[in-house]
Formats: sequence, C-alpha cells, structure tokens
Amino acid sequence: MPYPTIRIPFGPQHPALKEPEYFMFEVEGEYVVDVKPRIGYAHRGIEKAAENRTFIQDLYLIEHACGICSDAHTTCFTQVIEEILGVGIPARAKFIRTIIAELERIHSHSLWVGLAAHEIGFDTLFMYVWRDREIVMDLLELVSGNRVHYAINTLGGVRRDIAPEKSEKIKKGLDVLQERMKYYKEIGETEQTVLKRTAKIGILRPEDALALCAVGPTLRASGIKHDVRADDPYIAYDEIPFEVVTYDECDVLSRLLVRCDEMRESINIIRYALDHLPGGEISVKVPRRVPEGEAVGRVEAPRGELIHYARTNGTTKPERYMLRCPTLGNIPSVCKMLVGGYIADIPIVLAGIDPCFACMDRMAFVDVNKDKRWIWSGEELRKYGINWYQKE
Amino acid sequence: MAMVKELLRHIFRKPVTLKYPFEKSKPAEGMRGRPIWDMERCVGCELCFRDCPSGAIEMIGRGSEAEFKHHLDRCIFCGRCEEVCPTNAIKMTEDYELASYDRAEMIIDFKRTRNESI
Amino acid sequence: MTAKFPEEADIVRKMKDTIGEEIVEAKIPRPRRILIQVRRNAFKKAIQYLTQKANFTHISTITGIDVGDEIEAIYHLSRDGKIELSLKVRTPKDNPVLPTITDIIPGATLYEREVHDLLGVMFEGHPDLSPLVLPEGWPPDVYPLRKEWTIEEIEKEVAKGGKR
Repeated sequence: MPYPTIRIPFGPQHPALKEPEYFMFEVEGEYVVDVKPRIGYAHRGIEKAAENRTFIQDLYLIEHACGICSDAHTTCFTQVIEEILGVGIPARAKFIRTIIAELERIHSHSLWVGLAAHEIGFDTLFMYVWRDREIVMDLLELVSGNRVHYAINTLGGVRRDIAPEKSEKIKKGLDVLQERMKYYKEIGETEQTVLKRTAKIGILRPEDALALCAVGPTLRASGIKHDVRADDPYIAYDEIPFEVVTYDECDVLSRLLVRCDEMRESINIIRYALDHLPGGEISVKVPRRVPEGEAVGRVEAPRGELIHYARTNGTTKPERYMLRCPTLGNIPSVCKMLVGGYIADIPIVLAGIDPCFACMDRMAFVDVNKDKRWIWSGEELRKYGINWYQKE
Repeated sequence: MAMVKELLRHIFRKPVTLKYPFEKSKPAEGMRGRPIWDMERCVGCELCFRDCPSGAIEMIGRGSEAEFKHHLDRCIFCGRCEEVCPTNAIKMTEDYELASYDRAEMIIDFKRTRNESI
Repeated sequence: MTAKFPEEADIVRKMKDTIGEEIVEAKIPRPRRILIQVRRNAFKKAIQYLTQKANFTHISTITGIDVGDEIEAIYHLSRDGKIELSLKVRTPKDNPVLPTITDIIPGATLYEREVHDLLGVMFEGHPDLSPLVLPEGWPPDVYPLRKEWTIEEIEKEVAKGGKR
C-alpha cells in the first residue's frame, strides 16, 4: 500500500551545501522508486535585472550567471545582440572567441572528471586531474586576465589580442595537456574502481533522451549526434574541422568517455585556430542604442545547448532577455535515470549530467515499506555509496 | 590498479600546493586586479561611472572637478572602466590581495591635488 | 527572402498550408531561424503539426514576455538540432490560460512551470504546476517578470510577508 509523500523543507543556507538543490526520493529497500526535483535556490532574478541595465552592463551581468560556463554566456549574448544590430565581427575576433570557448570547454570537462572521481570516492584521480587543470587556468589568465569570468567578449568583437608569444605558450601548454588527458581517459577505461561504479549505471535510452529533450554530453552518450557547433555553426566553427563525439552505451561511463574525447577535440580545434589565425582588427564599434528587433542565439556550452532570446525596443536597455541553462534541460532526464537504480548510485548519476548547481545537498528519504523518514547530507550519501560498493 | 606507476613516480616529488601566504604565485602579465585612477589625466566625462555594471564607481563633482570613490566590495574587476576611458586615466593593476576586516578599507578615494600658488 | 533560404521557406509554406489564416506573422531573419506567430485557437494544432509531421521534436525552452495587456509565450523548437523555430502565441493578461504541451513533448514540464511561476500563466492539463523557482512563502499574485512589478515594489510586497 503506497504511503503518502512528505515534503520536508530545509533552507538553502547550510554548511554542507556547495550549491543548493532539493530532491525528494521515494525508496523501497535499496531501490529508488520515484524522485521529485525542486530547484531555484540559486535563482537571482537575472532576467529581471537585465531589463534595468544597459546592454554593455548586461554583458557582464549575464557573464556572471555561471562561473564555469561564463564564456558560453557572453558568446551567446553577443551573438544575439549583434544579430539585432546587424553588425558582423572581424574574422580575427571570431577565431579568438573560438579559442577561448574551447579553452573553457577543456577547463570545464577536466573539472568534471575530477568531481566525478570525487563522487565515487576516487580522490587520488580527483587531485591529479585538478593539478593538471591548473595548466588551463594559467593559460586563460595569460590570455584574458582572469582565471574565471574571462570577459574577453564584447559587443563587436573581443577585448584582447593573442600575441605570437602567448600563442607559443598556449601550444606548449596544450602539448602537456594532451598527454595527461589521454592518460586519464585510459584510467577511465581500465581502472576497476571507475568501471565498477560507472559502467551500466544511470541508463538513459536514446528514445527517452529525445522525448525528454536532453542536451549536451548526456545526449551524445546515448548515441544521438547533436552538437550546436556542427548543426548551427557560430563564430569560427564553420571554418574549423572537428568531430562530434558520441558513444552508444548510454551509461555514466559513456558520459565520461564523451567528455574525455571532447577535450581531445578541443585541443585540436585550438591548435588549428592558432595556426590559421587571420590578421586584422579585433573589434568594431557598435552603437549604444539598439534598434527594435528580436533574436534567438544558441551556443554549445560545455554542458549542452545554451539558448538566449532578446527583444529590444529601440532604447539603450533590453525589453526582455531570456537565458536557459543546459542543466535545466537535463533535469527530467536525470529523474528518469535515477528511478530503478540503487541509492548508492545517486551521487554519480546526478553528477553524470554535470549539473551547474551541485547536486548533492540534502535528500529526504521516505522508505515506502517501513514508513521511515530520514535526511542525509551530501557527505553522508557519498560515504554510503563508497561503503556499499566496497562491501560488494 | 592503472594509476600505480604514476603514484610510484610521485613518491619522491614535493607536493604542488603552494603554502600561501608564504609562497605566492606571480599573477600573469595583464591580470585584472584593482583599478587605479590617474587624476592628472581624468577629464570627468562620466563614462566609467555610467558603464560600471555593478555601480562600484562613485563620482563627486563633475568635469575637471570630478573625484572618485571606488568601492572594492562591489567591483567585479571586469575592466570596462579601463576600456572606455577616453584619456587612458584608468589602469588595472595586478593587486589582488584586497581582503580586509574593516568595511571602511573597501572604499578607495581618488582626489585631485590642487597646486597652491604662493 | 524565399529564394535565399529554401529549407526554411519550405517549412513556412507547409505551415501556412496546414494552419492557413491563423498565422499572424512569419519571418525568416537569417539561416536556421524561423519566427512564426499564431493565434491562440490554432496553437495546439500548430504544435501537433510541428512535432508530429514536421519533425520539430526538441523543445529548447519557453519564453514568457509581458507585452502590455497580453502575455506572449514563445516556444523554441528545433529539428535535429539544426533549424530553430520560435512559435509565438498571445493570451490576455487578465486571464492567461494556454493548453499544455506535455502530452506531446514530455520534456516541456519544467519550462511551463517556470513561466507559470514568473508570469502567472495557467497551463491547462499540466500534471504538476507547483512552484519551481520561487520560494515557499512568496506572496500570491506577485509575478516578478510582469512589467507592473518593479524590483522595489516586489521587495516591499515580500517584506510584508504572505503565504503561498
């Protein structure tokens, strides 16, 4: 006989939380039967705030929507506003934007590999990957002036140029990174700890992925070959050859391998862009007053398809600005993946979609058969998963 | 046990963690730290004040009499003020150690020096 | 316009053949972008045609805009990740009701919940319209993205308290 579900509210301020979120699970013994998400704890009203600021102020506001995919947001913002203005940016600016976007993808995916290793208890791999990630962070600081929130894009082009000495340093850094990322992919494929915790876990069949409108590596790990860079090219992606990576196993291991291969592709894209960097200016002047119009912009952020929509009314401030982050599109899929799995698999499956808000805060458990209710913190859930697999 | 070789190689190496504040890593050239105003060059055009995304720049007076208060706790170090200044009066330094226990230290004044004629 | 972007023009023409005069406006601003506005009574038929016959099965998001005395909902659909079609439909602000599309595209549940939260649009037939982004304890009838609610007024109203 089913017991009624209970909502146990808890505040977003808690020492255990990285980024707040709430899932309500219904469990039967070790199996998850149902899950209800509740998000919005980090909702800051950016869309409303964007209506009160000029376009150039909005560029920096929108950039701060996320720390890890900040460049994707500014690329999309400039794509939308430049389309309404009707300006084309110089070729050199397109290539520089591409280089920074791909450096950000490497940084984001290597961050994820480390976090996924942390979720399954493999802290050694976590530390090694994050040590090698420092190479990318230092390169980004060299090129743009900051390790996160690069602010390299502006309306009409880019703000800083890449001098030849910087280009050499980037290539040297990429050589080291390529060796390391190849090694970490090998670990992903051969290390028993990783395989046991990620192979055949968190299955999302292709028809479910399409029906629930999943995006990004989650979709590509189910064999669907959709990538905004190839399907709807923007900046310099129509001039640079690269491969869209898919794997067919539909589990967390496929998502790990998709991201490792995407890092390899990003390194190749950056090398090609640096070798073929066209000359010329890096930006054009744009007016402050934007004519009336509307536009839709799409960009492949590290986590998936990012979409922005803007409507302008002829003044210096937008009428409406909408942004939809890729993680929102993946939440229905993650709920589907969790049902039918073990409680011990919850951390890695939630981390598998690379959520832009940390998944593992508190979970309220309701045991359907025993009528027991208890709450665990993220730390406790992670430890439970590690112990459960060690006993197996 | 795929990581065993890697781990054995690292046994005799020292850790990569820098013991900040005793060991500091030098920021890259062009790193965006705290902005400073050169009041000799400033003409008080208000462009930095208008374009600041977070309202960190406070102007007192206008034109050639303009003076500034820069709020470090609101600044996002985006560099827009440096980019838009027509006389290159603003420069982003590499100063990033800005934390303090006192709110009053978060406001930096940039005043004009007046030449006293005798 | 028609000669420049043949694939997009073909989609618009087929939509016109199906829906006819219920299309208020159709624009192709650049390659891979289509903007179509339909009347509310033909909205569900348009969605059914687009998802089942024209293969626009992926929904990117739903935007809600306050345009004065109406609320406009824009459904951003895409086909194979390539062509992005934005379907616009308006509903009066004093009684904003739209049919849900979660029976056709299950992935649209969270987007409809967000538009319901921030603009107050009721989606008939949606399985669960509980709050998505607004917290518990939010005063009722305060829809932040409507133009009449400025940030200062929202702060005053929230400070007064009020249950949801």
